[in-house]
Amino acid sequence: MTKTYDTGHPIWCAGCGHFGVKGAIQHALDDAGVPMHEAFVLAGIGCSGTVQNNIGAYGFHAMHGRVLPNAIGASLANPDLTVVAAAGDGDGYAIGAGHLVHALKRNPNLLYVVMNNGVYGLTKGQDSPTKEVPLAAPEEDPLDAMLLGLSIRSSTFLARGITTRSTQLNELMVMGLEHARQGKGMAFVEVLSPCVTYHDTYPEWMNKIHDVNADPGYRAEDRGMAFATALELVEQDRIPIGLIYHGKHPSLQDEILRELVPINALSEEKAAETRAHMDNVLAAYTV
Amino acid sequence: MSQVLHEIGPMIDPQLLQGRERDDLTMMVAGQGGDGSLTIIALVSRALLGRGYEIYRTSNIASRIKGGHAAAFMRATTTPRSSLGDRIDILVAFDIEAVQKASGRLAADSIIIFDSSRGALPPNLIPDTALLIPVPFSRLAVRDLRRDLFKNSLGFGLMGRIIGLSDEEVEDCLRRHFKKLSKEQFEPNIRALREGQSFADGAGIGAEQSVYRLPDQGPREARTFITGNHAAAMGFLAAGGRFFAGYPITPATDVMNFLARFAPPVGGVIMQAEDELAAINLAIGAALTGVRAMTASSGPGIALMLESIGHCGSAEIPMVIIDCQRAGPSTGMPTKPEQSDVNMLTRSGNGDYPRIVLAPGNVEECFYHGAFATNLSQQAQCPVILALDALCHDSFTAPHFDLDRIQIDNGKRLSADDVAKLDAYRRYEITEDGISPWAVPGTPGAMNLVTGNERNEWGRVSTEPAVRVAMMDKRSRKIATVRPSLPRAHEWGDTDSPIGIIGVGILEGVITESVARLTSEGLSFHCHRPRTLWPVLEDTVAFVKSHERVYIVEQSESGQLADLIRSAGAPAERIRSILKYDGLQYTAEELVAAILAQERAA
Repeated sequence: MTKTYDTGHPIWCAGCGHFGVKGAIQHALDDAGVPMHEAFVLAGIGCSGTVQNNIGAYGFHAMHGRVLPNAIGASLANPDLTVVAAAGDGDGYAIGAGHLVHALKRNPNLLYVVMNNGVYGLTKGQDSPTKEVPLAAPEEDPLDAMLLGLSIRSSTFLARGITTRSTQLNELMVMGLEHARQGKGMAFVEVLSPCVTYHDTYPEWMNKIHDVNADPGYRAEDRGMAFATALELVEQDRIPIGLIYHGKHPSLQDEILRELVPINALSEEKAAETRAHMDNVLAAYTV
Repeated sequence: MSQVLHEIGPMIDPQLLQGRERDDLTMMVAGQGGDGSLTIIALVSRALLGRGYEIYRTSNIASRIKGGHAAAFMRATTTPRSSLGDRIDILVAFDIEAVQKASGRLAADSIIIFDSSRGALPPNLIPDTALLIPVPFSRLAVRDLRRDLFKNSLGFGLMGRIIGLSDEEVEDCLRRHFKKLSKEQFEPNIRALREGQSFADGAGIGAEQSVYRLPDQGPREARTFITGNHAAAMGFLAAGGRFFAGYPITPATDVMNFLARFAPPVGGVIMQAEDELAAINLAIGAALTGVRAMTASSGPGIALMLESIGHCGSAEIPMVIIDCQRAGPSTGMPTKPEQSDVNMLTRSGNGDYPRIVLAPGNVEECFYHGAFATNLSQQAQCPVILALDALCHDSFTAPHFDLDRIQIDNGKRLSADDVAKLDAYRRYEITEDGISPWAVPGTPGAMNLVTGNERNEWGRVSTEPAVRVAMMDKRSRKIATVRPSLPRAHEWGDTDSPIGIIGVGILEGVITESVARLTSEGLSFHCHRPRTLWPVLEDTVAFVKSHERVYIVEQSESGQLADLIRSAGAPAERIRSILKYDGLQYTAEELVAAILAQERAA
């Protein structure tokens, strides 16, 4: 056995929600039987951006806000990999918000996990886009990424969990990973993951959450119902959790890849094909 | 008084139909954007390529879809050139503005074909000795063919007679140029062509006569006629490049267009991103898996990508970046050429990180450097930038590209078998040459962490002073390792001359032509074109040191190239800058005058 890096211990504060998120990601990878060398975990900047260090898979520490384009590039280049992108609410909804819109629109085969705690922890307590009552502008509404996701018609898997409900969180993560691995597109799982040091929302969020799947009449495949339900809850100052939307749409890979094969190794057969192709390309410019 | 040939008026003076033989002809076609100036130039280029001429083709357009002054230029020569002639020999002007723009540059014996549909040409715009041929292009095209655009085929018919092409040659060119059109779409073009030819008949320029004569240069070996953008993209593809992401920007978009057309058949993946940040980061994601990846942009887009380029340098991610430089700062002049990203490409970014910047000087080098950069990025695991200038969108003839010269080098990439033989795998292993063996995701047993934070050999974040210094030094050594393989400067001219000239990129052509002319003034020069901008190589510093004075010619206002060379240790007192930043390209006449002015002052 070749020795590789030591997975060590997370840097998070005792009681941080992120421990639960990491556990749920690992559980999903285990559940799907993904060998560590076939898992690629990419994470951005912030407390959430260290999750890849403690899993044992291939890990990448992206620049602030850019984890989605990195993960999409990897998922296209090697469809055999199981790609998990992780971000925080600052990383994913502030500096990287533009990429979220386009990722949902493209529907790439990957699992995207956002650890939402409403605060910038690593820089010591600034408001994030999901802060319920921003200090500087108390009337400004927080961003709700599930509503955003629902408004993009090629989104296929939208879920929100909370670290205090680990069974549900594990289930959502397993379903999300399966969605991505089966080539159905992007599974977007937001996790309410409180920051005990700068914005301890455990009691508040426990009171506000509402599991949409608890209602037997809720149909997650009905985008209209999902939107109406989520919007109504948000307007009541509740937080919808559960599998909010689960639909079908061709994935980015379905759309643009001719075949689902890694393009990081050129076989001899491919090389020969390539040479014949290059001769034709050059011929188009030959005088 | 210039001779004016009226629409149905006097025949052209037979004196003019002697067929003046030319080995160097510059032609301009201009009008409003959308008039189709590029089409006529493309057709004439095609015809003269067929006759074995060297062609340089460029354009001068406004940054808008239709309208605005648009001009296309072509120079046909018997020796390769990469600038226009000093004077325009033939002007096809679709409006008065076109004549006004060309006015100062018309040759005394030039021919001006003017679209007279909207009235006559005002006096005093063209040399007295020029020949003016008013042709109501638009009116004829709309009247007889019901579409203004057919004036291009009409103009080409007339042009063929003027430069002495046979009617068969002309028709063959038109067919090949429009081969994608259906028979119904193509047919009016043939009628337009004939209309142009009968107009020529009416003016007395029969099929056997011509104003100019450009004799067939005889059979030649196959050549490549291409833009720098396409050549560089072709080099990337030939060297195994399989992932490209970009965001549309003038003048770099053509790299994406080329690859979108030619990469998918061999499994290549091309993405149009939502912005430049996404473009380079999509490419980074692909590169992390071991795919050869590239992005391309122009100054403003590269500025947005700088953080990510630094990330590639720090995290040791192979990346090829093409910068199609245009006139800055900020949005600047999107369609005008400049060489003013030198500072940004060589020195911008937070912190110190390894990078390589190459500056091809012709389309052939764009191709070979495109392939070289692709391999080099894998070998050195760092960003490799191709700095293009007006080369990127201009077309040139070049010796046929040799695909056999392109090899694929994976550097220190590890296979699963390689990994199995190791006791331990450390992504950032400290090595003598600074390059760490590289295992990509998917490789069994080699799981690792890649990060832009400072880290230890395992990829775990570390700020230990000793680790930091060792890692910085390791990354720096990579450049020392690949330095011997970096392209040295091209030197030519009089090796004994105490006067040197330095210029990069497209400027080699105009420097060569200028130096040839200055020889007749009794001056000789030794010329030097760096092919690697960063790191600045010893040969460039040595060149400055071994000459009494050196002119550094560049398209930048502050003399960025001169500054770069000075900062690498070249003696400042020997350097004299010749700068141009008006958005136009140099002509030999202009450069000769600039050099003479400084020489006489010396």
